[in-house]
Amino acid sequence: MNIFGEITCYGQCLRLWAPIVALTVIISIALIASSLILKNPKKRLQTFAFAQVAGLFSIAMTFYLMECSDMLSLYLYFAYVIISTALIFITLRHYDRLMIKRLEAKPAGSILRWTQEYVDMLTSARLYFFDSAVPKAFAAGRSIFISIGLLEILDDDELKAVLAHEAWHIRHNSRMPFLSRLALMAFSSTCEPELENQADYFAAEIAGFAALSSARNKIDKVFI
Amino acid sequence: MVKLDQINISNDGLTKFFSPIEAAILRALWSEGEMTTSELTGKTNIPLTSVAGTLDRLVKAGYTTRRTENVNGRVRYVYEPVLSEEEAASEITTKILDSLVQAFGPLAVENFSKYSDKK
Repeated sequence: MNIFGEITCYGQCLRLWAPIVALTVIISIALIASSLILKNPKKRLQTFAFAQVAGLFSIAMTFYLMECSDMLSLYLYFAYVIISTALIFITLRHYDRLMIKRLEAKPAGSILRWTQEYVDMLTSARLYFFDSAVPKAFAAGRSIFISIGLLEILDDDELKAVLAHEAWHIRHNSRMPFLSRLALMAFSSTCEPELENQADYFAAEIAGFAALSSARNKIDKVFI
Repeated sequence: MVKLDQINISNDGLTKFFSPIEAAILRALWSEGEMTTSELTGKTNIPLTSVAGTLDRLVKAGYTTRRTENVNGRVRYVYEPVLSEEEAASEITTKILDSLVQAFGPLAVENFSKYSDKK
């Protein structure tokens, strides 16, 4: 039986249940769409997780309703795996671009030229400053983001330590992209402290331990 | 809160309409005009960790503006109040009067005139 045969057969098996299966599929698609639109990162993750649950639920229903053939549910499952993996990879790939837009981040070179040059020495990444008084720094994709609030409180050596720390994250991401992305997919954060420590070792080596620890002291919110 | 949707009548002074930190920041800006972040933390005596998020919120809500300055390679924010104290007072008063009229209609207006006669 080819796939079209399977679908026709599936339609015959379902009948009564078809609207309910269709509804869960629609809910799942709507949730994915809203997770792309929502601004609050926590809500985005939640809607994305619920979309996955709804998708899996519809597949499970298909599986139990299929009396004539199990192949279609397998096809559906593979389609689901491929689509959601692709979605996750695309989102992670373009996450920095999303962040640039959302934070209205500006290239660092236009405000403090040496910072971009310093990052270029350590790794290939773009450095951006974003408008917030809250001291924060993080790396996403191949971009490093630093808030103006952080620039305000750090002197040059401390800023170098922070840049080295984030540059290590970028290096690490490009060396082991698959593993860290898988960890992200599983929403696990078990290895984070270990990653942060390694990033700190690197930063201390590059910018000196004194600069790193005084930067750490100033930022009571740990930079990610 | 900055949005004025939660007014706490029993609080004191500006904290009826703003959080204590917001009120402290606004008071400082009204008396000094332009201020950097470190001047603000010094004047209000509130640590940066508490002030920073509030400053972002005040900027977002349109009560203050800020610009980045680059002085000898040091980047810093300079804050400025959008409304003067009088303008803020008139905005808040209008909002509260509006909500009273919306709730009580002509009764509220009658009480306004009684109130101003008494004063």
